[in-house]
Amino acid sequence: MSIESICQAIQESNIGMGLRESPVLWPCIEATHVLSLALSVGTIAIVDLRLIGVLMKDEPVTDIIEQTQPWTFTGFGLAFISGALLFWSEAFRVYPSWSFRMKMACIPLLGLNALFFHKTIYKSVDKWNRSPVIPMRARMAGWFGLIFWAVVIFCGRWTAYNLQ
Amino acid sequence: MNLLPFFQWCEATAIGAYIRQSTTIFPVIEVFHLFGLTVLLGTLTIIDLRILGIGMRRQSIPKIVSSLGPLTVWAGIITIVTGILLFLSEALKCYDNQAFPWKMWLALAGILLYLLFQRRMTKGAQVSSAQMKIVAVLSLVFWYGVALAGRAIAFI
Repeated sequence: MSIESICQAIQESNIGMGLRESPVLWPCIEATHVLSLALSVGTIAIVDLRLIGVLMKDEPVTDIIEQTQPWTFTGFGLAFISGALLFWSEAFRVYPSWSFRMKMACIPLLGLNALFFHKTIYKSVDKWNRSPVIPMRARMAGWFGLIFWAVVIFCGRWTAYNLQ
Repeated sequence: MNLLPFFQWCEATAIGAYIRQSTTIFPVIEVFHLFGLTVLLGTLTIIDLRILGIGMRRQSIPKIVSSLGPLTVWAGIITIVTGILLFLSEALKCYDNQAFPWKMWLALAGILLYLLFQRRMTKGAQVSSAQMKIVAVLSLVFWYGVALAGRAIAFI
């Protein structure tokens, strides 16, 4: 079974069809997706901007990370669920889109970036927590996050324009 | 007052026509509109939640406002400039749209609330007063309302 036929089956399932054809549900899910995106990427941007030394340089890095994390996770959770439902309703339609594929490739990379950051350089955060200029590896993680989340947003929005 | 001539004039501007005839410029501007919106809402949410005592409690309110405020303003400027460009290219579509006036009034309310009240109230505030909390709730309602009404334009 090819990915294409799986996507087709998902889209043509009862739930997929129901979501797609509802005049109220689909826009509501889409709106949830955009609002939760603002919440998660907005808070991630604050952390990344601290890491690269632009924002809140006098505040401890741990303070910013620990306090924004619940909002980032809430936003991401909602965006993930609403995104999965949107995909369910038009899997076959978006599958061939290059921008959709790129978005789907970038999200796991961002997950790995965050995981890698937390498992490596963040372990020694006590040494650089209060310094305005932080280790190169942490700054790289910040830049990576900012750039690739921007790519995700770009590709997500662009997908609406390169569907057949 | 009939605003139709104004909308028609906007639609007829050279910039509007230029954006309209291109297949790529509109999405590109829209992407920047969305970037701006993401940062605008993200920073405002953090500020409002801090005032409500829900998030970032280890930093003082003036600290949060002075650190994030400039980012909020820049994101707001990007969102407004790109928004005007998008509007010029489809002014008449917006004129007929029921969600569009909601979005504009809510945005105006949000901007005035921030510039006239929130910025002044939060200066040097060590604890958040009841008034500040009311303003924070209103701010969240206005700005998420803007995003919601904005998204609704495509569906109504």
